[in-house]
Amino acid sequence: MPRTKDLDTVAPDDLISASPRKPNKPKRSHPQGGKPKKQTSKSADQQYRQKVYKLIGHTKHPLSSFLARPKVFDFDDRDGEEEIILVLRRHWFTNLNWILVFTLMLIFPSFLDFVPLLESFPPRYNLLFVIFWYLISFAVAFENFLSWYFNVFIVTEERVVDIDFNNLLNKEISDAKISMIQDVTYTVTGVSQTIFNYGDVFIQTAAEIPVIEISQIPNPNTVAKILQQMRLEEEQEALEGRIK
Amino acid sequence: MTNLFGAYILTTAKFLSIFGSVLYSIFAFVVVRQVTLMCKNVYDKFNSILITFSYIHFFTALLLIPLTLIFL
Repeated sequence: MPRTKDLDTVAPDDLISASPRKPNKPKRSHPQGGKPKKQTSKSADQQYRQKVYKLIGHTKHPLSSFLARPKVFDFDDRDGEEEIILVLRRHWFTNLNWILVFTLMLIFPSFLDFVPLLESFPPRYNLLFVIFWYLISFAVAFENFLSWYFNVFIVTEERVVDIDFNNLLNKEISDAKISMIQDVTYTVTGVSQTIFNYGDVFIQTAAEIPVIEISQIPNPNTVAKILQQMRLEEEQEALEGRIK
Repeated sequence: MTNLFGAYILTTAKFLSIFGSVLYSIFAFVVVRQVTLMCKNVYDKFNSILITFSYIHFFTALLLIPLTLIFL
């Protein structure tokens, strides 16, 4: 079997067809030298980006846990032209616990009549107790809602940002460039996670923070695929020397 | 009622209520500050509503102090 003569383009053990090789057509010269090559690389980038857009789809509700390309959303240290591709919050099902607790707290004062000890207090004491109780109930619900609303994981075209407010007084922000992501794994465990399709995503990075964990987010498999596409896009950019 | 609790217990309850409402007002103020800080870090459509809610919560907590003083 004859072997290829062009060792730069074909591996040593690649076989070539025995048919006579057609002479190469002369390349059309482009008035702006080198532009066709650039267009090809851009289209490769756009292909990756289109795949990402196709994966994330559209979000209709602004209070969704899976915000695809939000128009209004912004965060503190975003670069001016940095496009936000995806914003993730915990799955809505994870809010069910505190919503149930809040509902029980709301109906609790109606059972006060059945507590004989409180009957011996003057009515104005009971009134103040009820006002105070509803304030605490509101605070419980409000704090839980804030925790859900502001704990976000953001995927931009350049990096991933994890903003965590662990409680009202503790803030933690970690980010990693997409080019630094080494591996993305996800877990879906338990009945509720399987039924409602949510789980944890672990992003292993070569950055200062070795693993970024995103807990209880919707569609973890889609998120993993999106990050995979973004990595490919970044690799493409790095190959072309266009990395920012 | 007097047999069971007595004036001393009611006075203790009054002071505890005042102390509790002052503490709660401080907590409500911390919530306002924190919501403002959170909104500076993450901007979304409902931020203004959340800030409004936090202020309503704070002013209601403040209102609780005179209410406690008047009612009890």
